[in-house]
Order: sequence, then structure tokens, then C-alpha cells
Amino acid sequence: MTTMNVDSRGTACPGPITDLIRAYKKAQNGDMIVLVANDPGVVPDSKAWCERTKNVFVGSKNIEDYFEITIQVTGKRA
Amino acid sequence: MKKIAVIGSGAGGLITSSKLAKDLSKEIKNGEVSIMLFDKKREQEFQPGYLEVAFRGTDPAKIRRPMKKLVSEGVKIVHDNCEKVDLPNRYLKTEGSSEKIDFDYIIISTGSSPDYDQVPGLRDANMDFHTDAYNSSLIYQQVLKIKSGRIVVGIGGLPYKCPPSPNESAFMLDEHFRKAGIRDKVEITYITPFTRIYSADSINEVIAPMYKDRSIESVTAFNTDSVDASKKEITSLEGETMKYDYLFLTPPHKPAEFLKNTELSDEDGWVKVDKRNLHITDYDNGFAIGDTTNIPISKAGVEAHLEGIVVANNIIAEIKGTEKRYKFTGRTQCSMETGFHKATFVVGTYDTPVQKITPSTFNYMEKKVMEKIYWGSLHGHYEWLFKYHFKKDYFEN
Ligand SMILES: Cc1cc2nc3c(=O)[nH]c(=O)nc-3n(C[C@H](O)[C@H](O)[C@H](O)COP(=O)(O)OP(=O)(O)OC[C@H]3O[C@@H](n4cnc5c(N)ncnc54)[C@H](O)[C@@H]3O)c2cc1C
Repeated sequence: MTTMNVDSRGTACPGPITDLIRAYKKAQNGDMIVLVANDPGVVPDSKAWCERTKNVFVGSKNIEDYFEITIQVTGKRA
Repeated sequence: MKKIAVIGSGAGGLITSSKLAKDLSKEIKNGEVSIMLFDKKREQEFQPGYLEVAFRGTDPAKIRRPMKKLVSEGVKIVHDNCEKVDLPNRYLKTEGSSEKIDFDYIIISTGSSPDYDQVPGLRDANMDFHTDAYNSSLIYQQVLKIKSGRIVVGIGGLPYKCPPSPNESAFMLDEHFRKAGIRDKVEITYITPFTRIYSADSINEVIAPMYKDRSIESVTAFNTDSVDASKKEITSLEGETMKYDYLFLTPPHKPAEFLKNTELSDEDGWVKVDKRNLHITDYDNGFAIGDTTNIPISKAGVEAHLEGIVVANNIIAEIKGTEKRYKFTGRTQCSMETGFHKATFVVGTYDTPVQKITPSTFNYMEKKVMEKIYWGSLHGHYEWLFKYHFKKDYFEN
């Protein structure tokens, strides 16, 4: 299991979900992705993305002016 | 003599070299400055025009221009590709040559191109309008033959250039089959790895109802993993499959090969730059602009242009010994054609989120004007217009 840290702070259009999806492509089931971003939309967007792709939204924290989102990769086909 | 090397003669490299040559013309004449532009290509193409070629049958010759007409006076073009850049020692090498070419300043603007290796099977199955005008023209011949069936169109991987282009292709296909009177026989499905039809919510609000009205089905959060051309089937990273008869996916893109595994670039080869002053991280004399950077905004010509102006202005200021310095504002402006002579724009900056702009014929006309002035704009003929249009987003000073 690896933890992938993705720093998307200051990301404008097309947004931090792009960075999340790019990291996800390289990840394996069991890996954790920790995404930090200051776009407030990132929390509902990553939650919705996890639901749709069957990955686990572990949680989100609001730290100073940014959000830290933790996702466990579980949705990839074996 | 100050030597300036510009690598890549696309949208970013041409405006940068033109602006430098214009503002440093006296210094070039006096032998104090030289500008060298490196690119193997002998002609350039207006890439947004690939959509018109692929889906409306525009003659590819109309969107091509020979390099000699595009390079400004004072710029020396070298028809070789760059193979190595040594920033600490300030030299570069061209492909297959051992000669070290010195520079004082370097601007890397080598763009991005489709990376089919990321999606097994996609190359064979796909109708590709992101590579060149010739490949795009082959698509139109195929489109004319389609009389019924299921079209799958959309995003095949990230990142790619021009975020709205997959949506535009769906709208243009819809228009084509409506005009041909066979829209009811052709199913169009749009796939995207994002959770919305367009990644930015404001634009999604505009186009999602249009997809519904036009009967373009959408499948979101679909992460294309591979394509089986013989079964005509796409498989997602999650193991879902989708059948198609005709496939029009925008492939993921990659930077130029020589940038990979260098200290200039991130793990995928995108050049690491400061997003405002565009310095290659930690180097005062090295810059990167356009698609090849790792800046977290869309890969589009407008950005390449505005970044080129910022970099050229800062080099000019340094050479002339003036105090003023400029910064890139992160301004994006990608047009999204929605069919039937209407368009919207994806507009934002680092500090302002993407705006909601309703599609209109006026926007479409603005897009058409941009097409008309594109080649002249690479010579720097329309900076007065862009300055007026972009206002405080043109640059920060
Ligand atoms: C279908 C489509 C629609 C688009 N629509 C829009 C739009 O509506 N609005 C918009 O703003 N943008 C749009 N774009 C995107 C736009 O064309 C690009 O973002 C823009 O061209 C980027 O400029 P650039 O200078 O970074 O790269 P490019 O213009 O691609 O130029 C890169 C140059 O570098 C050269 N090169 C590569 N490797 C080397 C090397 N090793 N040595 C020397 N030279 C090298 C290449 O030959 C090329 O000439 C669209 C693109 C496509 C494909």
C-alpha cells in the first residue's frame, strides 16, 4: 500500500479533480490518495467522484485556507 | 551578445519570438542580441481548426501556413528539434548533433501531443482530431459514411489540450446528423472521467440542459482504461464496459520526449514552472510556456500567448535594464462551440473562478474573428486588441 500526496492548491479550471484522476490512474487498490486543494468545491466533488467510481472517501479536513481529502482506492478492477 | 533560444514554433514560441524581435530590433541590428527559434516543422497548423476539418469537411490546406511566413524579422529559425537542455551550463543540443549551442535565455514551448500508450487499443479504434489536420480530414470521410449506430465521444484520459474540445465534438456531431436528417438513427453518448459533463460547474450548468435537449446521453465518472477494437468495446478502470460503433475520444496528452526524466520536469515530463513569472523552477534564465508546463490550468493557445508576452516582456526589461516586471494572471479563454452557430467561452484566472456564459451567436462571431486574426496575432499585430479585451488579465505589472 502506498500513499500518494497530490497538491492541487492554486489549481484553476479544470480543477483538482483532474489531479485526483491522474493520480488514481497510477494507483492500485489499497493505496491512499491525499489530495490538498483550496477550491471549496473539491470536497463535494471528490465525494461524488468516490461514490460514482466505488472508491472510499475516508474524510476531509479544513486546515487553514485549504482542504485535505483522503481517499482509499478500492474501485479498480482486479 | 545576449543569445535567446526559443524551443518550439507553435502558438507560444511564435508570439514570444515576435515580441522579443520587435522590442529588441535595435539591439538585434547592433549585434547585441540574437534570437534563435528551434523546430523541425516547416509549417504550422491552426489546431482549433481540426474540429472544422473533422466534422465539417474544411480543407486542411486552409488551416496550414508555411513557417517562413510566420517567423518575424530578426528571428533566426533553425529547422532542428532540441534534444537536450542543460540549464546550469546554459547550452542545448539538437537531435543527433554533439554541438553545444550556448544561450543566455531559453524559453521552452514544445507543446503537447496525444499519448496513445496510456490507453491500450485506443489508437486503432479512435477517430483522432487532436494530432494534425490530415488525420482530422480522414475523420470527415468516415463521418459521411455513418448512417446509423452508436457513437461514443468524449474524454479518453487526462491531461489533454483545449478542455472544451471533446464537448464541442459532441455538439458538432449532433449538428451534422441533424442536418443530414438521420439524428434519430444515431445514438450519441458522451463519456468523461469527471462527475459532470463539463468539469467546471458554471459551464456544466450551461451545457448539461443542452445535452438533454439534443439527446446526447452522458456517462460521467467513466475512466477509460483500454479499448478492444475488434469487440468495439471500451473498458473502464473500474471494469465497466461500453459498446460503440464509432469512437471519437480525446486521448490523454504527453509533453515532448526530451523533457522526460530531466531535472526540469515533473514525473510525467511537464516542465515545472512558477505559475506567475514562468521561470523554470529555480532558474532565472529559463522559462517554459504553453502546453508543456505543469501549471494547473487548461492547455490552450490563449494561455500560451499571454504567457509568451509575460516572458518576452521580462526578458526585454532585463536586457534593457528597466525595473518593471510582469506576471501571468492565469487567464483562460477557450471557446466552446455548441453547434448551429452558437458558442460559449470558458473564462477564468488564477483568482476568479470560471464564469457562466450563455452560448450566443455573438460569441460564435468572436470565435470566428479570432480564427481570422490568428496568424497575424502570432506576429504580434493584435496586442493592442488583446490588451483592450483582456484588460487587467492581460498581465499583472
Ligand atoms: C482540436 C483542438 C481544439 C483547440 N481549440 C482551442 C481553442 O479554442 N482555444 C485555444 O486557446 N486553444 C485551443 N487548442 C489548443 C491550442 O492549439 C494549444 O494549446 C496551443 O497550440 C499550445 O501552444 P504551444 O506553443 O504550447 O504548443 P504548440 O502550438 O503545439 O507548439 C509546439 C511546437 O513545439 C514543437 N516541438 C515539439 N518538440 C520539439 C522539440 N524537441 N524541439 C523543437 N520543437 C519541438 C512542435 O513541432 C510544435 O511546433 C485546441 C487544440 C486542439 C487540438
